[in-house]
Amino acid sequence: MDYTFQFSNVIQNLPYLLKGALFTLEIAFVSFWLGAAIGLAGAMAKMHGGRLLRGLVSVYITLFTNTPALVQIFFLFYALPDVGIVLEPMTAVLIGLTLNSGAYLTDILRSGVESVRKAEIETAVTLGMSGLQTVRYVILPHIAKTIYAPLCNFFVWLVLGSSIGAIFGVEELTGRAINISTANLRTIETFSVVAAIYVALTFVASIALGLVGRHLFRAKIKVF
Amino acid sequence: MLDLIISQAPRFFTWYTLVFVLEAMGRTLMMTVIGCTVGALCGFVITVIRSTTSQWLMLLRLAVTVYVEVFRRIPFLVILFIVMYASQGLGSNISLSTIATVSICLVATAFLSEIIRAGLESVPRQQLEAAQVMNFGFSRTLFMVLLPQSWKVILPPAFAFMVMFIKDTSLASQMGVVELTFTGKVLMNRGFSPFLVYGVVLAAYFALSYPLSKFGAYLEKRLGSPQRRKSVERVRAHSGPAKRELVG
Repeated sequence: MDYTFQFSNVIQNLPYLLKGALFTLEIAFVSFWLGAAIGLAGAMAKMHGGRLLRGLVSVYITLFTNTPALVQIFFLFYALPDVGIVLEPMTAVLIGLTLNSGAYLTDILRSGVESVRKAEIETAVTLGMSGLQTVRYVILPHIAKTIYAPLCNFFVWLVLGSSIGAIFGVEELTGRAINISTANLRTIETFSVVAAIYVALTFVASIALGLVGRHLFRAKIKVF
Repeated sequence: MLDLIISQAPRFFTWYTLVFVLEAMGRTLMMTVIGCTVGALCGFVITVIRSTTSQWLMLLRLAVTVYVEVFRRIPFLVILFIVMYASQGLGSNISLSTIATVSICLVATAFLSEIIRAGLESVPRQQLEAAQVMNFGFSRTLFMVLLPQSWKVILPPAFAFMVMFIKDTSLASQMGVVELTFTGKVLMNRGFSPFLVYGVVLAAYFALSYPLSKFGAYLEKRLGSPQRRKSVERVRAHSGPAKRELVG
């Protein structure tokens, strides 16, 4: 065990890595919101749709939550060209992550909507609230409060999950780390710095999201 | 494309492929099971350390908390890389699947310790106080009061995390561990259509994780506290006017 750590090259490349971190955040952000759109549609379909639609959404959720995102993206990336759809690595990763987060977010959103009790809506009606008022003052705050914490956790999971992109050559944080480490051969140093960046990134994200949630939605989130 | 699949199918669905895929499934499952078992044990130890109050253990407590917080925030791929190159730095010949298993153990410890902690914290405080009054020691409180009540809370999410680890092991294929995703690569290099290959790999993963997640959901329904079960039933049976409740 005679290994001398040399961080100088990694430190030199820190701005390059941080740009990658920003890209990681962007990927997570985009796939989160696209996934949320899918999730909203899915949750609506699952609660109000017909039997066929409900079944389809259930199949979608079980299929995507029970198989690894990596293999899904492999499938998109290698199998779809056979039918004439050639995806850029970046697009394939984004589509894969979006479909994945859509499946998870459908479940989260549905549980949020289901947590609103009938009695609350009846109370709002009794108090003479209009439909819009009920939605604005009773239903939405309740849903937001229930699903905020799982949503935050899921966003953090997406930030970590976007590291899959590195395997397809997307230059996000892990991808850039691989680039650097193949050039400077200081793999352990590079990856420990990258791990530190990931920890800092998700830590800041969790704390910021937690504070926002506490103030805006009165969600019970343990910031620390 | 479809005719390609049909023409390849007889060559693909052979005894050899079946054995190859089943072996890979076994390896994936074994890595996960070892990882989760070790993770559960270490996670339990970590939780116990975190629940101590003695000031002599302050440093240990801090270290353990940092470990849990840090390892839950690093992507599995990065942990794999670090463990792999660190083990090379140690200079010994460690097999790749051992490296992958060690990484799973590291992550599983962090995640499962959080689950176990949540489980132990779900036991009402009064129970702890009662144990204190009865002059129970630390280990007696833990094993005779806390654990018998909290395993019901711990088990269902633990299964959900096991499914997560099954999915995470797919990343180990990138280092060359011969597990399910890697067999996909091998089979594709033998010239089979990616539709066929990755379709089978996806199906194999599904076959591994679907029963587990179903079992987790079943346990959650079965073991949920009577209070919780009642409330779930209440939500399900949207009550008619006769049973309507005033306070939700």
